[in-house]
Amino acid sequence: MSNIRLLIQRYIRQEIRNSNAIFSLGIYLMGITYLIYQLGGSNASDNSWNTLLWVVVFFACIMQASRSFELESRDYFYYYQCIAGPKETIVAKLIYNSLYMLFLSVIIWGLFSLFYGNEVSRPTVFALGLILGCVGFSSILTLANGIAERSGRSTTLSTILALPLTLPILKLVSTINMHAMVGAPFDETAAIIGSLVTLDIAIGLLAYMLFPYLWQD
Amino acid sequence: MQQTFYKVIGVLLVIYSLIFGLLTSIPELPIIEESIRNLFYHVSMWFAMVAMMAGSFAYSITFLRKEKIQADHRTEALTETGMLFAFLGLFTGMIWARFTWGAWWTNDPKLNGSAITILIYLAYFILRNGIEDERKKARISAVYNIFAFVMMIVFIGILPRMTDSLHPGNGGNPGFNSYDLDNRLRLIFYPAVIGWVLMGTWIASLRYRIKKLSNS
Repeated sequence: MSNIRLLIQRYIRQEIRNSNAIFSLGIYLMGITYLIYQLGGSNASDNSWNTLLWVVVFFACIMQASRSFELESRDYFYYYQCIAGPKETIVAKLIYNSLYMLFLSVIIWGLFSLFYGNEVSRPTVFALGLILGCVGFSSILTLANGIAERSGRSTTLSTILALPLTLPILKLVSTINMHAMVGAPFDETAAIIGSLVTLDIAIGLLAYMLFPYLWQD
Repeated sequence: MQQTFYKVIGVLLVIYSLIFGLLTSIPELPIIEESIRNLFYHVSMWFAMVAMMAGSFAYSITFLRKEKIQADHRTEALTETGMLFAFLGLFTGMIWARFTWGAWWTNDPKLNGSAITILIYLAYFILRNGIEDERKKARISAVYNIFAFVMMIVFIGILPRMTDSLHPGNGGNPGFNSYDLDNRLRLIFYPAVIGWVLMGTWIASLRYRIKKLSNS
């Protein structure tokens, strides 16, 4: 347990030291939001607002996750294999990536509210949607990046692997957030939230069980 | 003896369903009319595909547990056969949709599910092609295959039930459900499914033997 916390601390410290990565993500987010603004995003309907938000969140998550195993590439792989077991590594990565993605999506939500106005009538449900979505994304994208990294061709392969797999989550989560925007009664949303929670748990467990088979030579 | 037995049964059941699928009397339903016969040819393809993918899922687990390379060859053979059924299911469905809905492709949960399934498994073959070392390839693709199968079941089994769909059997449309699927259809549909699953097993075992020979 303490090992997991140390690993997460290490990832965070590494990320802060390597400030280039954070700034490039930040500029990407600013740029893409402003681009949408220029293309008429401020007149977007609720539905388009939601769709645009999820497209931006999704690509930000893909960009973030594509660096999940940057630390462990090449010779450092053996070093990290020595200091932590595969189960600890995957739990630490999943928590770290979920938090990072959540951080990014909150920033995107803020930017969208700033430029196009915040039309969400149920912010708690909307935030819940973001949290559940990010947890699901992090499991799938982390595992897909692990697969791509171990197969030695990480750049395009991880996106090809992850894109179709993330669609069920993307679909559920955009429905939840659409409900949150129009202020649908909670009973209607609860069923979708329930199935998304189940899906998240199932994917997380699968990633946890399968990762040790990847993490060996 | 056992080896020939299932092949004979499979061939007989497929021939039976192909011929009697056209001859049998059908319930008279609006819109869908005579095209309900596609139940025997289109839906049985998807059942066979899911059976093949379930087999490849099981062999992936076997590989991760026992590390026997034969299990990996079987996984690949079953996945290839499953892809064949997926494409056949897609084409038979598209032809049906052209005549019943008037379009080759619509934005429907069931159709999206099948398209995503095909993308997922194409990615599986891309992943396999990129890795040189045989054991590494087997292990990494087994991990992906297990993950992919679960997501496929979620996508084709659970999600379409949550939204409305034009597809027969969904949201009050006539077709494949307990009220509409009467006994005359069952008498052909179930043999068709069993027959195609047996045929798939045969094709997959041939592919497996080819792989084994070319590897040794």
